[in-house]
This record gives sequence, C-alpha cells and structure tokens, in this order.
Amino acid sequence: MNRYVKKTLQQYLPRARQSCIYVLGVLSILLSFNTYADNFWNLHWFEKQAPIEVTVNDAFINVYNAPGRGYPIFHVVERGETITLLKMQTDWIKIKTGRGLLGWIKRSDVLLTLGPDGQVPEFADTTQADYLADRFELGTAFGDFDGAKAFDVNLGYRFTKNLSSEIRVAQNTGQYSDSQIVAFAIVHQPFPDLRVSPFIGIGAGTIKTIPSTTLVQSEDRRDHLFQASIGAYAHITGRFFLRAEFVNDYILTSRNTNQEVNEWKIGFNVFF
Amino acid sequence: MENRVQRIFLTASLLSALSLFNVPAFAAEQSEKNDDGELGKIITPDIERRHIKEADLDTENFEVGLYYGVLSLEDFGANPVEGISFSYHITEDLFAQANYGISKTQKTSYELLSGGVDLLTKDQRNLSYYNISLGYNLLPGQVYISDKWHFNTGVYFIAGAGNTQFAEKNYFTYNLGSGFKFYATDWMLLDLSMRDYSFTHQLFGVSKKTNNLESRFGLSIFF
Repeated sequence: MNRYVKKTLQQYLPRARQSCIYVLGVLSILLSFNTYADNFWNLHWFEKQAPIEVTVNDAFINVYNAPGRGYPIFHVVERGETITLLKMQTDWIKIKTGRGLLGWIKRSDVLLTLGPDGQVPEFADTTQADYLADRFELGTAFGDFDGAKAFDVNLGYRFTKNLSSEIRVAQNTGQYSDSQIVAFAIVHQPFPDLRVSPFIGIGAGTIKTIPSTTLVQSEDRRDHLFQASIGAYAHITGRFFLRAEFVNDYILTSRNTNQEVNEWKIGFNVFF
Repeated sequence: MENRVQRIFLTASLLSALSLFNVPAFAAEQSEKNDDGELGKIITPDIERRHIKEADLDTENFEVGLYYGVLSLEDFGANPVEGISFSYHITEDLFAQANYGISKTQKTSYELLSGGVDLLTKDQRNLSYYNISLGYNLLPGQVYISDKWHFNTGVYFIAGAGNTQFAEKNYFTYNLGSGFKFYATDWMLLDLSMRDYSFTHQLFGVSKKTNNLESRFGLSIFF
C-alpha cells in the first residue's frame, strides 16, 4: 500500500509541480497586466456617482412631463435654480428640480445652464459632419441579387471623412438557389459633406451557394468574389442615414467561366 | 521543450512579481514629488469644480425585450411564437428593431383529412425568423388611470424585411405592423403589437404568396 502511494506520488508530483508553475505563471501575467490598469481591485463598481448639478442661466427652461415634444409643459425652472441631470433618452434629459420634482428637458436646453465650474456643459451640437470621422456605422439593406431577394447587414468603421472600411454579410433568397456572402470592402466618399453624398467601393469575400434541393440536384458551392459598388448616403436626421447602392459582383467559380452578377439594394445606416 | 516553456513562465512570473512590487513604489515616489508641501495645500481649493460633459450622463437608447404570442402561418395553423427583440432609438420618433422568433407549426388540413400523408418531417415543421425593421412612433400619448397615476403610451408603425427559415429553406420575408407601447416606468414598457410576415413559398408545388399574422405581447427594458 505504502509503495503504491509512493509510486503514485512519484508519478504525479512532477506533473503537479509543473501545473502549479503554469498556473502561477498565467496568474502572475494576468496580475502584471492589472497593476497597470489603475487600481483594478479598488474600482467601485456599484458606488453611486456624484449627482450632475447645473444652474439655469436663462430666463427659464421648460420642463415636460415626458420625453417628447408633444407632451405638456407642466413646470418651468427659472434663472439661478439648480437642477440635477439624471439620464438621457434620445434628445431628452430627465431632471430633478431642487424641490424634488421630476421632468424632462430638451437636450439642447442644457446649453442654457452652467456647470459647477461656471462653464456651459459640453453637449456638442451634432451635425452631419460629426458622423464622418472616427465612427462606427451599422446598417441594413434590402434589394435584388440577380433575381434573388437580398437581405444585408453591414458594419463599418470610418477612418477619415472620406475613407471607411466595412464588413458585409448578406443572405440572398431565390427561387432556384440561396446564397450567403461575407465580404470586406473599402469605401471612398469624395464629397462627404453633401447632404446626398455619393460613394464608390471595392470589396472581396466569399459566396456560398445553396441550390434548392427540390428543383436542382447539385452540391453547395463556395467561391471567392470581388465587388465593385457605387451608391449614395442621404442624411435624414441626426445619426440616421439612408443608403442606396449598386454592386457588381464578380464570382470566381470553379467552372470554366466566371460569373458576373448585378445587385442593387436600399437600406439605412446608423452612426455611433 | 517542456523545460523551456516552464522557464518562460517562470521568468514571466518573476518579472511580473518584480513589477508588482516596483510599480506602487514608483508611483508613491512620483506623488511625493508632485506635492508642493505647505504652499500647495494652501492654494489648492477644497471643492472640486467639476466640468460637465455629455459623456458623464447615462444614456438609455437601447431597448431589449422578450415577446410571446400567436403566429398564424397560412395552411399550417395558428401556433405559439416566442422571440427576442432589440431596438435602438435613433431619435424620439425613429427606432430600428431586430427581431428573432421561433415557432412550431401544425399539420395542414390536407394532411389531417387524408390521413397518413406527411408533407413535412417533424424537424421541418420548426420555424424561425429574423428581421430588421424601422419603426416610427406616430401617436405618442398618455393615459390617466387615477387622479395620481399617469403613464406614457405610444402607437407605432413598423416595417422591414428579413428571413424566415421553414421546412429547411429560407424565405425572404417582408414585415409590416403596428403596436401599442405602455411605459410602466421610464425604462420598462409593455408592448402589444401585430405584425404581418409576407413570403412566397413553393411547398405545394406552385408558388404561393402567404400573409402570416402574428399578435404578440412583449416586455422590454431600456438600458
């Protein structure tokens, strides 16, 4: 029995020691990252933030009883009154007055107040131009892919005013076959400040074609494709843009001839 | 090989252990240097004059919800449907919504009457759909339940497109609908809505356009 224990110890000790070293190594690497993150263990995740208090610096600000322009104004806050900003929903800010009354003010009315440092709070006036650099955009589009109906989702990142890159995922549903496209594209907008701004793009990716089993007896295919696109963004409001696009897909098939497919789609994009 | 890997981990752990001890010490040294002694204490004001930025404020523009209802699929009966919805409120009027729902369909009347004929297998009767739609809050309003309570409500219209997966095939699907929102609080709402999903299938040999109505009840929260 004793010998057996000894044997197993001999067998497992080196492995245990080894795994101990690995665990220690990984732990200490993790910890060493954390030492640089400012006081990682001392972050107060659930601590209440200090209230955001501003003082009204205009004759008065209207207080609505719900976040919407049609709702009744049931109160006004006057010059010199201190209000607490609670949260924001779209273009409305929920506030609490000094007497504890709750209501909503327009986001733009914050510019008529002063913060504790005597300065106007920084609430940028967002215009179309603000969405043109260093922004993510997420959009969807519907259209026609050579007779099939196309459903598209695109996620883009805008490096500069003119240049963006995007990932496109599409599901095309047709009578004879379905297809799925995943592609990466670079998009250039020569005149980004126009309200309707044209763009051109090139992309590359793969297309998976799934023939309808009821009609055609053939296997799924996976091919590479190139895309050349031309289209336009139209600014509607705030962070919301319409986007229409015409795409020429060049599919590198494993057959003798390559396939060219024209695709058009229309959809909307939202900038973050 | 194993020895080398061990050595790498050991060196890494030693180095990081060193840095663990060193960094706070270094930081302490720095903070001592920044302190200007008695003079610094006199000049620095006690109250922090805070500058307010938009990023300080909590925003609630996303909404996530669960829904349950009845989806009536043409020829395949009215069946329970459950799903999840995710919305982004772009402005006070416009919102984008993504939906994903699943349902299980029944046998067609033909299958029931003829007895023994099965058009679809059990797995093929499962249905799932997803879509992205754009909604417009058309009729915002309020209801006054008693002399102390009032709640915000809203009627919205929504339209979009997506995909329905049924009988192991995908169908491009348009959807159109409207609904009634009842805001229990600022951040929680009940949603009663109707959607029409329209797609064309060839399950019976010929092309057939179907309109499938869904009535549903949902609960969602803003975050």
